[in-house]
Amino acid sequence: MTNIISERIQNDINNNDVVLYMKGTATFPQCGFSSAVVQVLEHIGIDFKDINVLEDDEIREGIKEFTNWPTIPQLYVKGEFVGGCDIIREMFDNGELLQLLEDKGLVAA
Amino acid sequence: MSSIQNKIKQSLETNFSAEYVDIVNESHKHQGHAGDNGTGESHFHVTLVSNDFENKNRVARHRMIYEALDNLLECSIHALSLSLLTPEEYNSKK
Repeated sequence: MTNIISERIQNDINNNDVVLYMKGTATFPQCGFSSAVVQVLEHIGIDFKDINVLEDDEIREGIKEFTNWPTIPQLYVKGEFVGGCDIIREMFDNGELLQLLEDKGLVAA
Repeated sequence: MSSIQNKIKQSLETNFSAEYVDIVNESHKHQGHAGDNGTGESHFHVTLVSNDFENKNRVARHRMIYEALDNLLECSIHALSLSLLTPEEYNSKK
């Protein structure tokens, strides 16, 4: 991964409270796992920046290395990696995701 | 059991002290979708119960699996969904 790519990723996760690296876009997900995370975020009603890795091979490979995580989607909150689809679903089901977003001041408690 | 399924199982059993392993081939659910490589062995769901997950958060647990299955993920598996529990968590879910 080049420095430029890792800087781009770092900028995106620093400058946006919630960032989802996904296949497709929030309005048109192109993978069931990405779509599932979009649905969770929309259900909670939180704004997020969607980054379509299918549009950029360097980001697609770069984000895997950056996070040390081999799969897409990947969710970042306030610059921290939270998880992929399984983890987000689990955390949504047991209320931990909402708690995290509340703790970070991103949704009203 | 399919050959990839077998390889996943072997690799998990070698790398973890597993109390319970279950591997479900979910490839049929994804037939014709992106990532379906036509082999019928592209999408799996793994449930692994192990003491090795004690005091490890979710991200760390997933990384342990990804590390153990590195080669398979690289070449053969398109999607792997994971339920990773300690024996205590597993029993409280029942």
